[in-house]
Amino acid sequence: MDGNRTTPWQPTVIAGPKYGMLVTPAIAKMMLKKAKNPLFVIGSLIKDDEGLISQCKEIVETWNLPVAATGNIYKSLTENGIKSKRYGTIEIVNLLKDPEWKGINGEGQHDLVLFIGVTYYLASQGLSSLKHFAPHLKTVTLCKYFHSNADASFPNMSDSEWTNYLEKMSKI
Amino acid sequence: MTYKKNGRKLDDDFWKTKKLSISVGEVSIGRPKQELDEPMGPTPKPSVTDLRSWDFKLLKRYPPFYAPFCDMCCFCTYGKCDLLGKKGACGITAEAQQARTVLLASCIGTAAHAGHGRHMLHHVIKEKGKDFPVDMGKNIEIEAPIIRTVIGKKPVTVGDLDESLSYVEEQLSHLLSACHTGQEGNALDFESKALHAGMMDDLAREVADITQIVAYDMPRGDGDEPLVELGLGTVDKDKPVVLCIGHNVAPGAEILDYIEDNDLYEDVEVCGICCTAIDITRYNQAAKVIGPLSKQMKFIRSGVSDVIVVDEQCVRTDVLEEAKRNGAVVIATTDKMCLGLPDKTKEDTELVINELVNGNIDGALILEPKKVGKVAVEVAKKIAKRRKSLKCLPDISEIPKLAKECTECGWCVRVCPNNRPIMDAVTAAAKGDLKKLADLYEYDMCYTCGRCEEECERNLPLVSFITKAGDHLVKNQKFKIRAGRGPVQDVEIRKVGGPIVLGDIPGVVAFVGCSNYPNGGIEIAKMAEELLKRRYIVVATGCSAMSIGEYIDEDGLTLYEKYDGVFDASGLANIGSCVSNAHISGACIKIANIFAKKPLSGNFEEVADYILNRVGACGVAWGAFSQKAAAIASGFNRWGVPAVLGPHSSKYRRLYLGRIDKEDMWDINDLRSGETVKGEPAPEHLLYAAETMEEALVSTVKMCIRPNDTPKGRQLKLSHYIDLYKKYFGEIPPDLELFVRNERDIPITYKKDVMDDLTSKNWTPREAPKEPSLLGRK
Repeated sequence: MDGNRTTPWQPTVIAGPKYGMLVTPAIAKMMLKKAKNPLFVIGSLIKDDEGLISQCKEIVETWNLPVAATGNIYKSLTENGIKSKRYGTIEIVNLLKDPEWKGINGEGQHDLVLFIGVTYYLASQGLSSLKHFAPHLKTVTLCKYFHSNADASFPNMSDSEWTNYLEKMSKI
Repeated sequence: MTYKKNGRKLDDDFWKTKKLSISVGEVSIGRPKQELDEPMGPTPKPSVTDLRSWDFKLLKRYPPFYAPFCDMCCFCTYGKCDLLGKKGACGITAEAQQARTVLLASCIGTAAHAGHGRHMLHHVIKEKGKDFPVDMGKNIEIEAPIIRTVIGKKPVTVGDLDESLSYVEEQLSHLLSACHTGQEGNALDFESKALHAGMMDDLAREVADITQIVAYDMPRGDGDEPLVELGLGTVDKDKPVVLCIGHNVAPGAEILDYIEDNDLYEDVEVCGICCTAIDITRYNQAAKVIGPLSKQMKFIRSGVSDVIVVDEQCVRTDVLEEAKRNGAVVIATTDKMCLGLPDKTKEDTELVINELVNGNIDGALILEPKKVGKVAVEVAKKIAKRRKSLKCLPDISEIPKLAKECTECGWCVRVCPNNRPIMDAVTAAAKGDLKKLADLYEYDMCYTCGRCEEECERNLPLVSFITKAGDHLVKNQKFKIRAGRGPVQDVEIRKVGGPIVLGDIPGVVAFVGCSNYPNGGIEIAKMAEELLKRRYIVVATGCSAMSIGEYIDEDGLTLYEKYDGVFDASGLANIGSCVSNAHISGACIKIANIFAKKPLSGNFEEVADYILNRVGACGVAWGAFSQKAAAIASGFNRWGVPAVLGPHSSKYRRLYLGRIDKEDMWDINDLRSGETVKGEPAPEHLLYAAETMEEALVSTVKMCIRPNDTPKGRQLKLSHYIDLYKKYFGEIPPDLELFVRNERDIPITYKKDVMDDLTSKNWTPREAPKEPSLLGRK
């Protein structure tokens, strides 16, 4: 996988000349530190993976992130002690496009959005929408696979490398 | 054994009916009139812009959401333009480009249905004459609700249908021309045109299905159509097998006629994939349905079919190459898909048969349906015996040997549209465990697009692996599907129109679209089952109808065996093929006419406004992928029917989304009082893509809520919404304050929970509008 770290996981989602930036946890954390009103979007792919949910919980608590739960992960997050609000992926992306939206906590539009666990092709479309129509915010994906439509993305990784990256994300 | 073509029938105890009255109607000489006994509305045969004001009302409430597939425009010879934050060389923006793409897709889909309708109509007029009557049976007086509303006339003969189709073709020219570089530049106007294309698609589908119903005497909506056979296990591969793929019944019908005329029912198997499969079983119960589109490559690879007859739409374009792998013969039958085959339409039939049997040609283009019937059957009979050894895949013991060649590069997974774990399955197979490969077969988890094979650096036949490994699971599978019934009868609308409009029946949910489901066909069946148990009216067409039939419930029955085919609460009605989707919007239109006495002629806007605000219908296209599906959705949306799509549909690039946080968006006119009043997000979206089945189901029941619900109806709808939300998300919905207008709307079983929730949000009651509308008072 090393040779393909910045090729989108699904290679056909390449959309044009602009490409997402490959980031390490260190850079992603710098982006988080700089953000005034970040948001964490957690998708349904990790619903049944307690280890991943636990890592997400640590990230949420470390950075005090508000969470949007997409698909059907809301119940799992609640049961695992992660407070969230439920949205469809499409719904939350639509709201993030609007500079006037009040944000999920009513504190105004977000300026940085982290994504994890949203179905790859759906996430890719959502990120494309934000890339085009939400210049007021930056997108970062913490998924195992590289997302070229995000502003910044982790590379394609093995499971162990990914676990390592997520662990680093929960340490300031 | 003899099979009967599906025809109209009287009950056996017909003569015991009390107070039977028989009317012979008016005896007249000459042709019945096309004009309807009602005033002509404002928009007969609307031009591209005549309904623009209605479209803009919809688009204001449901602004388009764009998710570009590609940042660039690749249309013209300026070269590629990057539209990310910039305009193109012609001045187009990214939004307009996405909207233009959707318009193009809708035009392509509409052209496919219109092309099918044109072929059908031309063939029927040639065979039966233009005065052949449009007779939709004793219980259907509104024979063509879409034509009546859009054209303003009723078709009396098949010749009259030509006027509607000519109008569609004219409008399509205008719509397509708007896509040309340097024409339309506004995204909303592209959207309005896409909606217009959708309405043209609705018309074309209605023409196509009415034509085939009357010409081939297909069922006319009885609701008790026979159960027909579905599944791979229904085909006897020891017999010659003719497989029909596509979406045009004419050649398939001629194959069945040839079999009947020559008493070959016991000797030849006729089966189908995709819409043709549904339509040939509407014509003759002897035909068998293999399954949806996603069965296509698997079944061809299995080698069972001796002759493959393709007509149009949704056929693999490499079907000839695939057929040649196991010595099957391909017959192409329409100008849409000639496959490079020699045109044998005018040649002597016996000579063509000999050429195909002797292998002088791999296939033939035969544009005369009757000739297709004879050639397909006779060739199958002649080559079946010699193909006996080819009617199965390579031995299963070869899979582990070949699988060991896998280099575990992972690219099969990366190019899979659904990210299926193909590599894991192959590596397990290399160790002798074929279960993971077999799992990919079940419920069409893999829809055999073949991208993985194209990518494999070792050229491993991955689809054949899956097909062979899953073969033993499915080869004996036999299911039942109800033959497509066609339209909803007027008598059914009289019975359920009131309960639907007032909310006593919680909703009408239409499962439509293609078979690229996110998690296999089982999810669509599970969703249908949940709604049937909750007394929704469930209707289905095409691949979705087949997928529902491939599921056996806990009682060991298919849902078609368990639930009646009527258009009523807990009814599961297989309406038919993709073109039959016209009868679903047709049923909504009939409710406006029969229940609310809304005149139809040239009265699109008033009828659509009625449907949007009062008819709790919602489409579910869990696997939509084709341009036809895009056109169908656009058609439904313009009538005011919302749809929930699967996650793959985000790749259509455009959805129509409402915003519950914007209260002003939901203001509504009460035509009774003449006032603008506070409304609710009902329906919340017009076109929405859900990520998971659970999300889709909750969204679907929510999108059946309408401003016109009575308190009893609203209670019922909210009860299902709350039930399902609690089931899947663990608590009561967070937005109930939007839908509870006053305490009478609260479901009794949730009274305390809901009141506590409302109180915490400082909710105040409001009255429901008496006559909700997006239109102004006249």
